[in-house]
Amino acid sequence: MNFPILTSLIALPIAGAVLLLFIRDEERNEPLIRNIALIVSVLVFAETLLLWTRFNPASADFQFVERHAWIPAFGIDYFVGVDGISLLLLVLTGFLTPIALLSSWESVHKRLKMFCVFILLLESAMMGVFVSLDLFLFYVFWDAMLVPMYFLIGIWGYDRRIYAAVKFILYTMAGSVLMLLAILGLAYLHSQGTTGEYTFDLLKLYAMDVPRSQQFWFFLAFALAFAIKVPLFPFHTWLPDAHVEAPTAGSVILAGVLLKMGTYGLVRFAFPLFPEAASFFAPYLAGLAVIGIIYGALVAMVQPDMKKLVAYSSVSHLGFVVLGIAAMNTQGVQGAVYQMLNHGVSTGGLFLIVGMLSDRRHTRLISEYGGLKNVVPRLVAVFFLITLSSIGLPGLNGFVGEFLILLGAFRWDPRLAALAATGVILSATYMLWMFQRVNYGPVTDEKNAKLPDLQPREWLVIAPIVAIAILMGIFPNLFLKPIEPSVNRLIGQVSQRSSQRLQAGNSELRIPN
Amino acid sequence: MSSFNAIVPMSCVTAAAIAAMIAEAFRAPGERMPIGPLGAIGLAGAAISSVLLWKDGASSFGVVVADKFGLFVTFILIIVGVLSLAISEPTIDRERLPRGEYYALMLFALAGMMLMATATDLLIIFLALEVLSLAVYVLTGIRRDHALASEGALKYFLLGAFSSAFFLYGIAFTYGLTGSTRLDRIGSLMAAQAMAPTPMQLLAVGLLLVGFAFKVSAVPFHMWTPDAYEAAPPAITGFMSTGVKAAAFAAFVRVFLAAFEPLRPSWSPILWIVAAATMIVGTVVGVSQSSVKRMLAYSSIAHGGYLLLALLAANDVGKAAVLFYLLTYAVTNIGAFGVISVLENTDQPNDRVRDYAGLWYTHPALAALMTIFLLSLGGFPPMAGFIAKWYVFSAAVKRGYTGLAIIGVLTSVVSVFFYLRIIVMMYMTTTDTPARVPPIPRMAGLALIVSAILVFYLGILPTRVLDWAAASIATIF
Amino acid sequence: MLSAYVPIAIFIVVATGFALFTLVVSGLLHSEKYNKVKLEPYECGIEPTTDARDRYSIRYYLVAMLFVIFDVETVFMFPWAVIFDKLLLFGLIEMLVFIFILVVGYYYAWQKGALEWA
Repeated sequence: MNFPILTSLIALPIAGAVLLLFIRDEERNEPLIRNIALIVSVLVFAETLLLWTRFNPASADFQFVERHAWIPAFGIDYFVGVDGISLLLLVLTGFLTPIALLSSWESVHKRLKMFCVFILLLESAMMGVFVSLDLFLFYVFWDAMLVPMYFLIGIWGYDRRIYAAVKFILYTMAGSVLMLLAILGLAYLHSQGTTGEYTFDLLKLYAMDVPRSQQFWFFLAFALAFAIKVPLFPFHTWLPDAHVEAPTAGSVILAGVLLKMGTYGLVRFAFPLFPEAASFFAPYLAGLAVIGIIYGALVAMVQPDMKKLVAYSSVSHLGFVVLGIAAMNTQGVQGAVYQMLNHGVSTGGLFLIVGMLSDRRHTRLISEYGGLKNVVPRLVAVFFLITLSSIGLPGLNGFVGEFLILLGAFRWDPRLAALAATGVILSATYMLWMFQRVNYGPVTDEKNAKLPDLQPREWLVIAPIVAIAILMGIFPNLFLKPIEPSVNRLIGQVSQRSSQRLQAGNSELRIPN
Repeated sequence: MSSFNAIVPMSCVTAAAIAAMIAEAFRAPGERMPIGPLGAIGLAGAAISSVLLWKDGASSFGVVVADKFGLFVTFILIIVGVLSLAISEPTIDRERLPRGEYYALMLFALAGMMLMATATDLLIIFLALEVLSLAVYVLTGIRRDHALASEGALKYFLLGAFSSAFFLYGIAFTYGLTGSTRLDRIGSLMAAQAMAPTPMQLLAVGLLLVGFAFKVSAVPFHMWTPDAYEAAPPAITGFMSTGVKAAAFAAFVRVFLAAFEPLRPSWSPILWIVAAATMIVGTVVGVSQSSVKRMLAYSSIAHGGYLLLALLAANDVGKAAVLFYLLTYAVTNIGAFGVISVLENTDQPNDRVRDYAGLWYTHPALAALMTIFLLSLGGFPPMAGFIAKWYVFSAAVKRGYTGLAIIGVLTSVVSVFFYLRIIVMMYMTTTDTPARVPPIPRMAGLALIVSAILVFYLGILPTRVLDWAAASIATIF
Repeated sequence: MLSAYVPIAIFIVVATGFALFTLVVSGLLHSEKYNKVKLEPYECGIEPTTDARDRYSIRYYLVAMLFVIFDVETVFMFPWAVIFDKLLLFGLIEMLVFIFILVVGYYYAWQKGALEWA
């Protein structure tokens, strides 16, 4: 066994946070605190890149597996590993955290130390969620992640931050506690099986044949937790509040990584664990996803607040991801995973831009801007690129994901694909309209006339995002390649088991009494 | 002399209590005497003797049995005792409470709790119950010049006496049915006649259930709890919310899962309703409180509901879950009340939720500690409360009480709401008039830090303690 | 089972009968001479009607409680004394422990001024 790289991904940010706790939170220590946090997060990012280079893209199995007994009496292990689906999400997390820290360089001064501590703790929990292969461990990280995010929104957010923070944590918890019960029930079910082992080991639970009547409930409990997190229509109402009130760094991480946990959960847990229930519910999930795509886009169109607009666009974009997952074919799921990364990059970028504008003008209302094109040309150029990436212009990252998803959805159910495609058009409408109102026309407000253009630090924040967006658009195979084997394995897992049942003549999944 | 072995731990504590009384009696007016350390010595003696007893156990006169179950609870009580002693000192000084009396009562109560946890005879359980109750009634009202304190103590006393009568009546019926007060004998005799429960049996079970339900403040016998918790000084509230609960639940488990197990079909539906009502009322009413102490009183009621759920599940997991839950709850809740206690000022109790506004800005360490305790109470990983709740719910799911488990998890989400209210106040609200907080005494600060460390330890590396809890239930039932 | 309760039933009958008998016979035999004092309730020297807001000294309760505590303990000593020849040294030590605890309590109460009247 070589270096425990996954553990270090979780442990390094915690170590950094603990180190920060020993530094006095004083004005003169500010650069030190920022630099420590930044160095730690950059190190973590470097580690994720190292992980990627060492990762064997041809294999569908979990790699870099580490397993230690944690609470042996209850079959709980510290069991982590990474496959193609989680690999790039880890890289994304590692990528966005330093950017989030950098983006708060100027705007956060209040209680800076704790801000950095919470960001690092959050990073550690997010890494934990993506690498856990033990359901209990997964749940621990899943819940632990709420706390730092809650503080980030609640302390460093805008006016209605308390409301948003409490809503965020209660919504997510309400969904996830039922998942906890389902996890317990699943482990208990496994202990009733042939081995009699009480275990939370994901791989062992994959292999278990869950009775259909129970799959139904288990799937609902899991899907509810993930649907709230995604957020799927109609569970999305916490999202606009949380996004709007969160500080820029929080929004970037929230949109970039946290939302992906919902869709990641569907792919990793809900679908392969309960394949029959999943195939029964897939059309409903897809239906909600399509409603979310169109509804999110329509609501985004009428938002006066840029941040809220981007938040609703997230609802729409994540709808695509869920649609791709529900289709459960290679293109759909691959597209979904790809779109998770895209959304992290482009929405993260949009939040950064909005953050930069509101740092300058202290407002996010579209009507307050106008004609920025001539005032801050470089900022607008970057803004334009990211807008196009979010819309899904060919040659940029958004296109690949959406295209694959629509392809997958079309093979599954052309009607849904057709409806979802309207979402692409709508997204072009609301994004470009917003872009036009902010950047074109005459400078109506004098305050806008003398805004400074991108600072070097801001270049540092935004340039990587732009670079990645272009890279992902031009060389999608670079990213799709490691994903593919794992996706195929997943699809095999799901379809094989539900088709076995089909042959046995139990095609109908009935609602149990 | 081996027949005395089982009562050595509580004898140590009793001796310390008597010593405290003597010290107080000989103390010249105005003289400061280190009475607290006397209690610590007694508790240390109890701890050492319990450790020595752990392997083989002991039985005294057939009515007190120091099995692993009883000893586990004794350990919890020792922890409760030590932490309470440490956080009491500032309260005593500030409120000018009679020091010797305070410690003597606390130690007598602890001795009663330990007896209750190890007793295997209904009469001894009753005796222990009275020993601890009388001491706690007085402690509740120990701030004699507070109007609220007198009110709360009187309420607690009257209702407590009433419930003791129920309890005693239940014992009488049980004795009438079986001719014995020994739990094992009652169990075997009940099993012999269990086919169709007679009205007499139901009456006996019902009366005992009422008695216990009162002591663990289960709905609908919870009315005294908020008043008594608000009346007592916070250090005492922490002590009685954890110690009394631990002792009462230990006896509850013994009586119902050993003696009345054969009658389970008749009492489990009632307990189902009581557990559900306790969880729901505790959390829902807790939401609307503006006093932190009352809020934590309702939270304590709700936590009693989770314990009832574990008791009801009553499989191996459930019984061990009761023990583990009691331990984590004890550590966490004493910590939370400890923070309330050090926040208290001579002229201002500082126990409204709004008094916590901006605490993080003035006292970051205190705020952080309070946050740890509150998040643990709310059941967030990686704190101890999460493992404890997970343990309880897994017992419930295993036994098939899915409905109760769902109520349990949903109420715990609701409870998170009110724990968050305090956190919101501490971190996200600023005020022009922050609460004036007296300097924090070293001992109390140390106790709080120890509690916080225990909370993390039990949350991250619970394996060893879980094994102990599992071993503890292997010796009985 | 029920036959064991027959003596209790007889006891109840006799007790009720005695009370009824006494009341009836004295009612038949007594002479009917009344005066003011005799018609008062509780003819034992305490004023039957006074101001309701009358306060007893707190010490009254204190002494009463101490009396109850220490008096009732003696009840415990009677059965002990009766079977002392069977309990022997063990019983003696037990009783000494018991009395020691009582004495501590007594001394404590004394020191705290519970026995001082003024």
